[in-house]
Amino acid sequence: MKTIIRWKLRLLLIFLSFTAFGCATIHPWDRDLLAEKKMSLNPSPMVRAVDNHIYFSKEGSTGGDDIGGGGCGCN
Amino acid sequence: MQLDSSTQSSSIRQKLSRTALALALLEVPATAHADSGPTTQFDITTLFYGEQSRTDIFEPMVRVSRLFPDGQSLYAQFGLDVVTGASPSGALPSGEIQTTTGSSGRILTIPAGAIPMMNFQDQRFGFDGDWHKSLSRFFTSDIGGHFSRERDYQSLGINGKMSVDLFRRLTTLTFGGGYNHDSVFPTGGTPAGLSDGTIISNQGNPKQVKNFMIGISQVLSRKWLFGFDFSRTFENGYLTEPYKVISIVDPVTGIPVSQLTDKRPDARDRTSLLFSSAYHLSRDVVYLYYRHYWDTWKLQSDTFDFKYRHELGSENGTYLEPHIRYYHQTPAEFFTVGLVEGDPLPEFATADTRLGLLKTMTLGTTLGFHIFDNPSLWTIRAEYIRQIGDSYPVNAVGIQQTFDLSPPLNTFAVVVGYSFNF
Repeated sequence: MKTIIRWKLRLLLIFLSFTAFGCATIHPWDRDLLAEKKMSLNPSPMVRAVDNHIYFSKEGSTGGDDIGGGGCGCN
Repeated sequence: MQLDSSTQSSSIRQKLSRTALALALLEVPATAHADSGPTTQFDITTLFYGEQSRTDIFEPMVRVSRLFPDGQSLYAQFGLDVVTGASPSGALPSGEIQTTTGSSGRILTIPAGAIPMMNFQDQRFGFDGDWHKSLSRFFTSDIGGHFSRERDYQSLGINGKMSVDLFRRLTTLTFGGGYNHDSVFPTGGTPAGLSDGTIISNQGNPKQVKNFMIGISQVLSRKWLFGFDFSRTFENGYLTEPYKVISIVDPVTGIPVSQLTDKRPDARDRTSLLFSSAYHLSRDVVYLYYRHYWDTWKLQSDTFDFKYRHELGSENGTYLEPHIRYYHQTPAEFFTVGLVEGDPLPEFATADTRLGLLKTMTLGTTLGFHIFDNPSLWTIRAEYIRQIGDSYPVNAVGIQQTFDLSPPLNTFAVVVGYSFNF
C-alpha cells in the first residue's frame, strides 16, 4: 500500500512539474520548428511498430509507449 | 529605449514569416488539401531479420491512411510475418556430441556444449485499424482495433484514446485503454505445466490483456518537446510458453537426466514509465527515450534509446539517423537454468532465456531520401543487435559450469520503407 501511495505522489510531482513548464510563453510565431513532422515524440509510427515487435519477441518486457497493438505467440 | 524602425519591421517580418510557416505546417493535411478533398497516404515497410544460426524473419507491412480535410483520419495496417529457423528449447547441453539430420537431409554435428535448439516455422498475418477524430478545438479521440492470426495463436483487440490540449496548447494530456482477447492453441495440444509432456489437453487456452495509459507531452521551449507516459498492463490466462522445456540434471555430474515442460503464473501485471524527448537543433533533431519497467514476475528492465537525425544537403529532406539502444533486464523470480534431480519441484519454472538476466545492445542507422524531386520518401535502416545473457550462472551444476549456457546472439535487421501520397 505504501508503495502505491509513493508512486501516486511521484506521478503527482511529475504532473505538477509539467504544468509549471506550461506557464512558459511560446507564441504562435515561435512554433515553426515544433510544427515540423520530425519534431514529434514518435515521428515514425511504423518503424516504432517494427521495433516493438522485434524486442517484444526477444526480451522479457514490453509496452510503455502506447496502447493497443496485437498479441503475438512469439513471446 | 527605442528600437530602430528597420530592426523593428524586420523582427515583425520574421515573426509573421514564422507564424505563416508554423500555421501551414500545423494545418497539414487539413488546409493543404481543403480544395482537393481527402488524400490517401501509403506507407510500405519490409523487415528482413536474421539471427546468427537461428531465426530468420521476413515481414512486409502496408499502412494506408485516409486524411480528410476536417482533420479526421482513418488508418488501416496489414502485416505478414514469415518466420523460419530455430530457437533454444530451454534444455541444457547434454555434454555429448550429437548428430542430427537437418531439413535438407544433411547430417549436422552438434558440439558437446551446444545449446539444444528446436526448429520451427510459422506465418502470421495481422490487421490494425484506427479512426482519429477531433471532437472539439481541444479534444481529439482515437478508436482502434486489431486482429492477428498465426498457426497456434490468435489475437483480437480494441483500444481507445483521448487527448486534450491545455495551457495554450503547450501541454497535451492523453488517456487510453485497450483490451485484447487472445487464444493459444499449441500444435500437438497443450502440455501440462512442469510435466514430462505426455499429459496433453486439446482445449483452447484463453488469455486476456487489459492495458491503461496516461501520458503528458509538454512543449518546454521553441525547440524542445518532452513526454512522459505511465502505463499498466494486466495479463490473465495462459501465459506459459508451451514448447519450452527445463532440464533436470544429476546433482553431482550436472548431466541432464530428463526434462519437464515450462510453467508460468497465469497472471502478470506490467508497469512502465516512459520519458521521451525531442530537441530541435535548428536543422537536426535529437531524440531520447528512457523506459523503466517492472512486473509481478519480479522482472525489471531499463531501456535507453538515442537517435540523432542529421539533415544532409539542402532542404530536400535527405537525412541520416544513427541509433543506439541499450536494454538491461533482471531475471523473473521463477527463472532457472535447470532443475536438480531430487529437489522439490517449484510451483513455477522456466528456462526461457528471454526471462533471464539479459542485455541487448543495438547499433544502427537510417537513411531517408527522395529520388530526384519526387516527394515520395524512401528509408533504409540497418541495425546490428547483440544480446548477452548469463553465460555462466552461479547455480549451474557439474559439467554445466563449463558450458556457455547463454552464448551471445548477433542479429542483423534491415528495414526498407517507402511512403507516398495518392
